[in-house]
Amino acid sequence: MGSLLIDNVTKSFGETDILKGINIDIQDGEFLILVGPSGCGKSTLMNIIAGLEDATSGTLELAGKDVTLASPKDRDIAMVFQSYALYPTMNVARNISFGLEMRKVPKEERDRIVNEVAKLLQIDHLLDRKPSQLSGGQRQRVAMGRALARSPRVFLFDEPLSNLDAKLRVEMRTEIKKLHKRLGTTIVYVTHDQIEAMTLADRIAVMKDGIVQQLGTPDEIYNNPANMFVAGFMGSPPMNFIEVDIKEGQAVVESAGETHHLKLPCAEAIAAKGLDRVVLGIRPEMITEPKPAPEDQDWLHSMKLDFDVVEPMGADTMAIGQWNGIDVHSRLSPKAGMTAGAGTEVQVNTAKAVAFDIQTGERIC
Amino acid sequence: MVANRSFNLGRLFIYGCLLAFALFYLAPLYVMLTTSFKDIEEIRSGNLLALPQDPTLYAWIKAWSSACTGSECQGLAPFFMNSVKIVVPAVILSTVIGALNGYVLSKWRFRGSDLMFGMLLFGCFIPFQVILLPMARLLAELGLANTVTGLVLVHVIYGVAFTTLFFRNFYVSVPTELVKAAQLDGASFFQIFRHIFLPVSLPIFTVTIIWQFTQIWNDFLFGVVYSGPGTQPITVALNNLVNTSMGGKEYNVDMAAAVIAALPTLLVYIFAGKYFVRGLTAGAVKG
Ligand SMILES: Nc1ncnc2c1ncn2[C@@H]1O[C@H](COP(=O)(O)OP(=O)(O)OP(=O)(O)O)[C@@H](O)[C@H]1O
Ligand SMILES: [Mg+2]
Repeated sequence: MGSLLIDNVTKSFGETDILKGINIDIQDGEFLILVGPSGCGKSTLMNIIAGLEDATSGTLELAGKDVTLASPKDRDIAMVFQSYALYPTMNVARNISFGLEMRKVPKEERDRIVNEVAKLLQIDHLLDRKPSQLSGGQRQRVAMGRALARSPRVFLFDEPLSNLDAKLRVEMRTEIKKLHKRLGTTIVYVTHDQIEAMTLADRIAVMKDGIVQQLGTPDEIYNNPANMFVAGFMGSPPMNFIEVDIKEGQAVVESAGETHHLKLPCAEAIAAKGLDRVVLGIRPEMITEPKPAPEDQDWLHSMKLDFDVVEPMGADTMAIGQWNGIDVHSRLSPKAGMTAGAGTEVQVNTAKAVAFDIQTGERIC
Repeated sequence: MVANRSFNLGRLFIYGCLLAFALFYLAPLYVMLTTSFKDIEEIRSGNLLALPQDPTLYAWIKAWSSACTGSECQGLAPFFMNSVKIVVPAVILSTVIGALNGYVLSKWRFRGSDLMFGMLLFGCFIPFQVILLPMARLLAELGLANTVTGLVLVHVIYGVAFTTLFFRNFYVSVPTELVKAAQLDGASFFQIFRHIFLPVSLPIFTVTIIWQFTQIWNDFLFGVVYSGPGTQPITVALNNLVNTSMGGKEYNVDMAAAVIAALPTLLVYIFAGKYFVRGLTAGAVKG
């Protein structure tokens, strides 16, 4: 019904290449999240999928049919714009039903759908208001309602929650997740919010400079990043990157004036490439206070770390020290009662540590 | 206390100036109106600024229905109707075309649309006199010389540059995402115009219609050049009336005729002027 194949799509505005060959295969009913830095071409890609902009080259298939040249109307795609784009002169009810009206759905049917959608989004008491008389969160829901009223083949959401306060954002996120479960419609969703990306996605596409850097499940993106960009983009605070020498398959790290040799899961791959210096990537949550980790017994190292800064964040405490003269973030339990100071005893778990090529930033293993 | 007094003096000065200017501008209108209600005896003997001692409608009736404009003596009435026949279609057509042009040039850009807009803008700066001869040629070729249709055509062509500019600049401030949203909702080019753009367009329609109405009603040059004996607009007839002297000069009739010719634009300003100002500033304030 709503599978979407984006095949080698490029887009140039004049001389500038914005999209440089995008390939994404989206399954029917899949929830795909697009992330990437500002200006990398996410909205442009959404507009191309919707048919609001023409691709410079490449093809687009919707439910197995080539729609590269089809008009937006014929694609049967609904989009929630980042700016809501509500029709200012129409009341909420008309905003929601306008798409149905244009598609010649009879009046009674329209009224029924509007009421249904409004109830679902809890905006049924607002139906007579104009968009200017609504709060941001209410406008957001009207924009959603306009898309939902139509039951299209694909939903496109372009940063739909970015203007909401933290609490409302969490609420709406849950609503969207429930909605997707219930309707099973294909969704492509742009966000800058990592938690949104990790919690909602079936798969995540990480974009940079008009290229998909990696396309995979949240777990793959987080634990098996394809390169330093992806590794650094997901996770907050991001993965620690430290340039290290490799000696006998182990990473040499200097911390608090002592030298340590860390065992790496990918020693062979590094050796096979004959590298003696790599970028070690290790997530903050792998540097903790000493605690039992039975399944990773072989990968634990204990060392001293000088903490310059300790930031309690409620559920965790972030602490910043230095390895080889570079800042490393560690995520500690508040119960450990850590304070800033020299020579704090920490435990380093390298079971999931990764290594990147210094030159290319590509993952070695 | 001192600050307060100087403030009051400043106020006094400003209001004084405003009053003086208002009087200065209103004086001719006052003279026109009072003179038009006097009889010719009173004009000869009396004071220019005095109120009419024995007000009479004689001059108005004569100006409207029997004053001579050249060889004919039917008053201004037929020419008033000519002007209406020219102004109404010309205003409607140029406004509608301008609205559609503005809609396309702001929201449906195509290759060369900016160039096109630039050239249209250029049309605003072409002086009337430059196009007189070529336009006369064109009208003759089209068989429209000396016709009302021909005059309507000239005014529409000349007016479209301005109306397009007005609408284009107004519609630029309508978010483009509304167009995209409506496209996804399945609305067509004209449906988007009708349902999204028309409902927000009242201010700019008011401005454009008032502007075009005054321009075309007050036009003299095109009227005198492209009209025939039976199709002259009121401005041309007024000129002829004032210049036709049979016997003595009847200033009261001239004045009444001038007021009649100016009345429609005056009324438009009095009744719609505040919408005009509001419309001109509407784009400046968001929402
Ligand atoms: N109509 C256009 N003409 C020229 N350049 C454009 C046009 N639209 C977008 N761009 C450029 O294309 C690039 C990608 O824009 P796009 O809006 O897709 O970014 P994005 O990934 O959605 O960013 P954000 O996260 O900030 O929304 C930007 O550098 C932008 O300047
Ligand atoms: Mg964007």
